[in-house]
Amino acid sequence: MTRASVVGADMTTFGVHESTLSELFAEAALGAYDDAGVEPDEIDALYFGNAMGGQTENDTHLAPAVASQIGLAGVPCQRYEDACATSANAFKNAVEAVEAGIHDTVLVGGVERCTPETGLGTGEMTRIFASASDRHYEQPTGLTFPGVFALLTKRHMHEHGTTEEQLAHVAVKNHKNGTRNPNAHFGKETTVEEVLDSPIVADPFHLMDCCPFSDGASAVIVTNDDRADSFDKPVDVSGVGHATDVVPLSAKPVPHATQAARDAAAQAYEQAGTSADEMAFAEVHDCFTGAEVMASEAIGFFEDGEGGPAAAEGRTEMDGDRPINPSGGLKAKGHPIGATGTAQIVELTEQLRGDADERQIDSAEKAVAHNLGGDAATTVVSVMEVRG
Amino acid sequence: MSLTHDDWTAALEDGDLLGVRCGDCGATYGTPFAVCNDCGGRNLETTELPEEGEVYSETTVQVPPTSFEGPYQVGTVQLDGARVTARLEGDVEIGDHVVFDGAIDESGEIAPVFRVE
Repeated sequence: MTRASVVGADMTTFGVHESTLSELFAEAALGAYDDAGVEPDEIDALYFGNAMGGQTENDTHLAPAVASQIGLAGVPCQRYEDACATSANAFKNAVEAVEAGIHDTVLVGGVERCTPETGLGTGEMTRIFASASDRHYEQPTGLTFPGVFALLTKRHMHEHGTTEEQLAHVAVKNHKNGTRNPNAHFGKETTVEEVLDSPIVADPFHLMDCCPFSDGASAVIVTNDDRADSFDKPVDVSGVGHATDVVPLSAKPVPHATQAARDAAAQAYEQAGTSADEMAFAEVHDCFTGAEVMASEAIGFFEDGEGGPAAAEGRTEMDGDRPINPSGGLKAKGHPIGATGTAQIVELTEQLRGDADERQIDSAEKAVAHNLGGDAATTVVSVMEVRG
Repeated sequence: MSLTHDDWTAALEDGDLLGVRCGDCGATYGTPFAVCNDCGGRNLETTELPEEGEVYSETTVQVPPTSFEGPYQVGTVQLDGARVTARLEGDVEIGDHVVFDGAIDESGEIAPVFRVE
């Protein structure tokens, strides 16, 4: 069933940007306006995501500030923060609002700056990212975010025999896909040997297993089912699942199961009356290579323990039977925290319109996006499909 | 509210590792909660956690946040039904037997330390 439709989508390049958060968001938002063919007076509300602007740039109360840049001052604006799942949560709330008839057409998106353009170095940004781990029972140990996902991944390796080489294949594949994405932070291929030879950040993760610090913004325009046909290329949102898991990590019964993703995926597939087998591809939250392996199992693309071998066998490549992250994923496209969730929606929209050029997945009719936050304790899974 | 963060910290400073046990369903946790995540009960009693356990997962952090100096090993330790996140000493691996060995304070807040036997 159609819950809402995406009728405009755009993103900035992900990489290094000197512009302010508001300027950067405006670039994506104006692109989304133009893609939909709308003017600001047709937008009824803003659902906005930014995770860390208060910490990185002393910049809060951002929703009305960015709205003012793009002609939306006056409409209700709300800002979301859910660590790396920030703008997927904004998207979920936007879909619910138009579905419920509260608004007709809304702008949804996010922005973040994480590169040294903020004036912050690696140690300081590592500390800020770690603020999404438990303040009292994890941060004092010196646990970092690569460390959080290392703990999940190492247990997955222990339980299932997943190897560092299999993880490296995820990076190789996503870098290859990234070369076909003009908005990607990295446009260069890599090899398993290069990944395994890169310095260790938190074992089992080498530098090349980790997504980069990126700046960027993304935005989509969401409207209700009745209005969707008045736009050129609507793409339907048929399911949005959202679940959480207990924190801290030590309280999760099976941390590497990423249970919130399993619950969110089940909700999204049920709403859409579909299943993982009908998805032409997935965009998943590969902040680290191990996260993609765990996500590929949690969303039902592979049985538990098969995610690693599947990556090594090429099954998740563009021409594999289960393509994952044709955009290059967070690993190659980049990961400006608050922009990542809606950037996945931008990719699904372009693919399902058949507009993804070199990285087009043939005859894609349905696709799924998986965006997690923190230690995977927040996950939003969205199913989109070609409008029937 | 049963165990608070202040209580947990004060005990750790005195060399005691506290957790909570649900008086209704028996679930145990290595950190305080106001409500049991297993059964929803509010009858969470403070309990002393075992001082020996097994490494559930571990990693060595090579790129630390500010105020920490790497490399160092961090992990989760299984103590009967509960787990705690702790600093690990002795280059341990998953499944290794470790014992509670006090606490570190590198950032203004303390964290438990477990050491290979």
